[in-house]
Amino acid sequence: MQSRDRYRIALLSAYAIALHGFESLLPTPIPWLRLGLANIITLVALLLYGFRTAMMVTLIRIIIASIFRGTFLGPAFILSFGGGVSSTIAMGLAYKIARNLFGPVGLSLIGAVSHNIAQLALAYVLFIQRIEAVLIISPVILLIGTLSGVTNGLVSDFLIRNILKKDGDKFQDLARE
Amino acid sequence: MRRRALKEDLRLKKIIKNIRLADWMLFLVLLVVSVAGIFITKEALPRGTDVTIEINGEPAYTFPLNVDRMIPVSSSYGETLVEIKEGRVRIREAHCPNRICVKQGWVSKGVIICLPNKILVIVGSGGGDKPGKDIDAVTG
Repeated sequence: MQSRDRYRIALLSAYAIALHGFESLLPTPIPWLRLGLANIITLVALLLYGFRTAMMVTLIRIIIASIFRGTFLGPAFILSFGGGVSSTIAMGLAYKIARNLFGPVGLSLIGAVSHNIAQLALAYVLFIQRIEAVLIISPVILLIGTLSGVTNGLVSDFLIRNILKKDGDKFQDLARE
Repeated sequence: MRRRALKEDLRLKKIIKNIRLADWMLFLVLLVVSVAGIFITKEALPRGTDVTIEINGEPAYTFPLNVDRMIPVSSSYGETLVEIKEGRVRIREAHCPNRICVKQGWVSKGVIICLPNKILVIVGSGGGDKPGKDIDAVTG
């Protein structure tokens, strides 16, 4: 790994951890509501620097943020870990398979939905074990995930286009598309 | 110069124009599925007649929903107080970190989940409460 990559991963992880921490400070009207702001950084990393960087950033963000909040290896960490990893994998796959089909908004939606599904499945298998309870909350979580996914996608879109505009020559292969 | 370009980029119209067709379709499908799901699960859930409290995944108590009472439950974070009143149930007091269960308030059907305490308060309709039966009741 080049040292430039390392700087990049460190910087992006710092942004992601900051967003993650900020998000947990926001008061939310619905207990399960989480905006997934850190997913913006994952998506930007994926589109600009590739899958490996995105996955590294996600893993670092989840582990460090959980250590800060004292939930490392607890139930909240397992849910967060499963959701983050599966959403990064899903976005990476969607980007690789259907590069021209989905823009940042679509990819963000795919990430949000797989994050939700993974968390619900993990919560069902590990903690709740009642299909009834999971089925009741899943549409609500899916709706919130969809709305926040679109918002995050729009923000990522804006960020990516501004970064490309600012130093577009560094991303010639992307700019050519 | 640069600031003006940034301002132009921030216009919602321009950002929305950049959304692709597949993005729109995915968004609409998800929106329809989730909203429909909310209504379907609301309809499919029968109004409960009794309250079951599960601790660590095992049913511990069952009480009728039409008799007012307070139930202290010993749990991982001290004592959790479940209250039944006027056909509804809530978790009145809990000592878990987030108190999501307390914030959820009164419930007359469905479930209150407290993960840290490993407590589930289920409003059900009594009798055979097998998981397989629940799946049929919700999807069928």
